[in-house]
Amino acid sequence: MIRFLVDPFSAPYLQRALLEAVLLGVLSGLVGVHVVLRRLTFLADTATHTVFPGLAIAFATGTSLFLGALVAGLLSAVAFTLLDRARRVTSDAALAVVLTSFFGLGVVVVSRTERYTADVTGLLFGHILTVDVATIVQTAGVLALVALALALTHKELVLRSFDEGAALALGYPVARLDLLLNVVVVLVVVASAQAVGTVLTVALLITPAATARLVCRSVEQMYVVAAAVGALGGWLGLAVSYEASIHHGLRLASGATIVATTTAIFVLTALGRWAWRGLRPLPRTTAQPPPAAVLP
Amino acid sequence: MNGWLITTFGSTEALTQLTITGLVCGVVGVHVILRRLPFLTMGLSHATFPGLVLAGLLGVNLLAGTMAFGIVVVVAVVLLGAVDQVESASAVGVVTAAGFALGVVLVSASDGFGRDLTAYLVGSVASVSPADVAVTAVAGAGVVALLALFHKELVLGAFDPGALAALGFRVMALDLAMLVALEVTVVTALPALGTILATSLLVAPAATARLWTDGVGSAMALAAALGVALGAGGLALSVAFTTAAGATVALLAGATFAVSVAATTVMRRT
Repeated sequence: MIRFLVDPFSAPYLQRALLEAVLLGVLSGLVGVHVVLRRLTFLADTATHTVFPGLAIAFATGTSLFLGALVAGLLSAVAFTLLDRARRVTSDAALAVVLTSFFGLGVVVVSRTERYTADVTGLLFGHILTVDVATIVQTAGVLALVALALALTHKELVLRSFDEGAALALGYPVARLDLLLNVVVVLVVVASAQAVGTVLTVALLITPAATARLVCRSVEQMYVVAAAVGALGGWLGLAVSYEASIHHGLRLASGATIVATTTAIFVLTALGRWAWRGLRPLPRTTAQPPPAAVLP
Repeated sequence: MNGWLITTFGSTEALTQLTITGLVCGVVGVHVILRRLPFLTMGLSHATFPGLVLAGLLGVNLLAGTMAFGIVVVVAVVLLGAVDQVESASAVGVVTAAGFALGVVLVSASDGFGRDLTAYLVGSVASVSPADVAVTAVAGAGVVALLALFHKELVLGAFDPGALAALGFRVMALDLAMLVALEVTVVTALPALGTILATSLLVAPAATARLWTDGVGSAMALAAALGVALGAGGLALSVAFTTAAGATVALLAGATFAVSVAATTVMRRT
């Protein structure tokens, strides 16, 4: 068991991949707590798709991928904010249209260039195994920046999550807090897009935090558990992907395997919690709103 | 006439497929907007992706295999959403990403797997066969018939599920029927538009129609017309500029929506 977890990481390229996966897991776990608390899941999903044209254009013109993704992400945030303000437009419709238009733009750009298939697949699913030191430093930098931003605005963000009215009444700059959180989400998406791809980034943002939400009773606990689950999912995913590829001749894409292991942790936690509650019925601690998005 | 069709739209199958898809998506899309299901639609199209890959691997009919998998996805979302402390939005997010990752793992594990990943993701309207068109037409007719038959109940359920229950209707059964109709629509839109951009035709025409009209019936008519126009127009543009068809349709749909938002906002001010 220990050998399975440690052995793969004797090769330098896998050590770099592990470092990147753990950094991204911690980063996504921390920010994911706010994504889950504020129910920004769809926004996060949209951000992961809207950075795609930025990546595609940067790739085609040979400029920095990080910069291209950042510009596209910020532009999409502006587009969404403008559409959302219109009368008769619900925010989920605005998000869906922004998402599909930006993604469509990315595909159109890529389909005009050569090596179409390889590029799309690479941008969508990332190359964590070929991650270089510069990208790891970049991810570490984003992690430091995001951790600082979350630490400085922790109290305000939590209050705004649970009670927008109170935050407004106390004179907190709610609009600027929302903008800050949206920018942080875009930053995380940009940082992880190159490693695990734009599409699978959303799993890292939601699944660890949703797991933490199952077992935690405070926001601080959620930070710790979500970061741990994110890091653990990255480590286990790489180990499973390596084990299957080297010893069983089954090539599993590393980015997708990380998502699959993280999801497995979530499902096991949900099942465990369900079984635990079955054995020892606890009083409900939180009032849940009806599942509006599924069966309104 | 036929020559003009082929030079403008590539093939008659492509045009027919996109016309039917645009029409059905427009009509179903009005319910998607009313019931605030865009995110679930997104989730369904992503999570259905491994079904497509599995059906390809097993060699069963693509649409039938995908459809079966899609029903499993609907059940998974509903069950996860029912778990205490899992927000329904989180449930959709988890199922979406997990389903998508499963699809990628399956594709990456299968050597020499015929059709490539990109075709599943962004669609390949050029490779649509007459059989695909026939299946789409039958499924589309079924979905539209279902929506027409239960129109009054479904609309009431969207606005006031409590009243629907009080009148003695089975709200749960109607909601499930709506979800299955949505999933069938998503599955039939996949060959033309791909997993990701199917959401575009299901949301953008209906959201645009909602801007211009108040009635549910008129919104459906307008959304269906818009869906057909966007499908055919996007296809013609994609042939003219040799871009990916599904993506061009999505881009055109987004632009139409943005222009409509701007126009209706200005009109309201003056």
